[in-house]
Amino acid sequence: MFTARATALTAAIGLAMLANTGTADAQERQVKISGFGAMSGVVRSFGINSKAALEAAADQINKAGGVTLGDGTKGKIVIDFLDDRCNAEEGISVLRRIASGDALVAVGPTCSNVAEPLFGVLQKKVGDAGDTGLQFPVFTDVAIKIGLAKISEWAFRNVPNETEMYTTLFKWLKATKPDLKSIYGGVEENFAHSRATWYAVMKEVAAKEGFEVKGESKWLLEDTNFSNQAREAKKAEADIIAIAAHPFSTCGMLKEMARQGVKPKLLIGLTSSSSMETMQGCAGEAEAIIIPTSFAPVNDQARAAADAVTKFKGSLDLHSGAAWENVFILKKIIEDEKVMAKADTLKADREKIRAGLAKLTATDGLLGKSTRTPDREAVKPYLFVHAKSGKWEVLHTPAVN
Amino acid sequence: MGSIVDLLQSMADGLLFGATYSLIGIGFTLVFGVMHKINMAYAAASIAGAYAGLVLLQLAGLPPWLVIPVSCLAGALFGLVIYVTCFLLIPLSAPLATLMSTVGMLLLIDEIVVHLTAGMPVNYPTLVRGMVSMGEFLLRGDLMVVFLVAVLSMAVLMYLLYRTRLGLATRAVSQQPVAAQLCGMSLGQVNALTFAITGALGGVAGALIGSAVGMLSPLLTAPLTVKGLIVTVIGGLGSIPGAIIAGLLVGAAENVFQFLRGVTERDIYVMLLLFVFLVFRPGGILGQDPARN
Repeated sequence: MFTARATALTAAIGLAMLANTGTADAQERQVKISGFGAMSGVVRSFGINSKAALEAAADQINKAGGVTLGDGTKGKIVIDFLDDRCNAEEGISVLRRIASGDALVAVGPTCSNVAEPLFGVLQKKVGDAGDTGLQFPVFTDVAIKIGLAKISEWAFRNVPNETEMYTTLFKWLKATKPDLKSIYGGVEENFAHSRATWYAVMKEVAAKEGFEVKGESKWLLEDTNFSNQAREAKKAEADIIAIAAHPFSTCGMLKEMARQGVKPKLLIGLTSSSSMETMQGCAGEAEAIIIPTSFAPVNDQARAAADAVTKFKGSLDLHSGAAWENVFILKKIIEDEKVMAKADTLKADREKIRAGLAKLTATDGLLGKSTRTPDREAVKPYLFVHAKSGKWEVLHTPAVN
Repeated sequence: MGSIVDLLQSMADGLLFGATYSLIGIGFTLVFGVMHKINMAYAAASIAGAYAGLVLLQLAGLPPWLVIPVSCLAGALFGLVIYVTCFLLIPLSAPLATLMSTVGMLLLIDEIVVHLTAGMPVNYPTLVRGMVSMGEFLLRGDLMVVFLVAVLSMAVLMYLLYRTRLGLATRAVSQQPVAAQLCGMSLGQVNALTFAITGALGGVAGALIGSAVGMLSPLLTAPLTVKGLIVTVIGGLGSIPGAIIAGLLVGAAENVFQFLRGVTERDIYVMLLLFVFLVFRPGGILGQDPARN
């Protein structure tokens, strides 16, 4: 009797252990993608939206059956998201933490001032035995400052190409509004993206397209008094005022311009300001400002994605739209490169994902196809939006891609 | 000629904007005057008071002008919370303890606001519209109101301090805390009232700053804290009129330095100004010079 009972107990324990092993095995076939970016501080909204977009995209893929792995089994995408506080040191530390775990790839960061040094700690050239840099694929969604992916062969980006966007914008303005002859800039001097976009993109491109550049006023991200800058802008008497700044200081400058009666014929904004932040801060003063963007809910796919992200408590814009796209691009790469997502294939899987990303020549996106450049950047479809009655409306869709 | 007019206009703009620094400086200096401690969370609590006022206003659908009294009440409440958490429960004899606890509170308040608003700027109602034009000069009406409020606050605080029993108790506690207690004055009560009053003033300051900037954002906290401290030191620790004068001086200097040397050098010169005061007049404009070694 005792022996029978003991046998039954042993069998039960054995079955339980087997079941447990099965669960552990199923857990091992999770495909972990780590997002990282600012989840605290004043650019927290970037992180919130990226996280929501990553989770919404993963949820959609998982509900449709998941990812087909190298051996034919199905894996589920698991997203985690770490906060780098938009700080370079914390960003590097977060990436090292991600790389020391079981994530196959990272999506981030949100800030260009983090991306630049962070790409610097990655191995510069794949296979260089003398370079002890981190060998981990990073697929950036938000940090937009031009030309960063060339820093490392492990760095890839799916951010819009601002040079192309503003070139097209100025060409379009030249063709459709010939009365606009001159431009004056306003630039947030202490923010990497804003600075690079004014000096290396807007200013250069406008001059190339024949606009007279009448100079620029400078301020800092946290400035609250724009009286000198608005007066300088007024004195310049330019037809266009282009503001390369984030929503807080863009709104500060626009409000001061309204106070001082500075009324240019046209306002142009920074890509990152085509968000709800600007509308919350200064919808009235921003009326009619034109901004090129790589996302707007203009087709069924984009609208459905925007709705899905809203359910994850975020909103889809040009930055988080890229996070959404990245998950689908990575799914395809995982399937094409036959990633195994097993503990013992982690290093090989990361290399496969890097190789897959490097091979890409075109990707599907929410607004259509994007092409990939040899230096691992994207050339994404885009359109021009303008602020109208507190909302962003599509003004023009250039024929690109 | 044009550049002289621009320089003067720049100085006038800065002078008026400096009124916002004055309001924050008064709060810093009042707490220092009474407790000989610095409340680093003051500017953060002031901006939080303005946020609270705006939220309550929007929820209740009240007219915009009510944002000031509502922010004032919210500010007083935050002031009391800061007193209880950062001063009452902390041993005052440890000189760094309250400094660090208020730095912690500053970061906490800031991060709470960031989490509640996702860091997004919030449009703030313009309480006073219009510019006053004087020939070629344009002066912002709303900043003139901020200046008047700063002067009015000074008058009210001076009255409170020198013409009321509360003021008498406050000064007694500030100068001889042990003797004041022996005379039956409650140290805790006087300190709590001081924090409530400075908090209320902070709420008003936050609302006026929000209106002057046109937005509320967690980005306002750090610069206001730094400027508030500079103003407190330049004005003279504990001197309310000194804080007003120093606020205007720092505002004007900042704008003039920006006009002459550009935005990237502006803050260097403001810090140099502070350094000059610390070396040549360590007691500030209206404070008493501490004895030198």
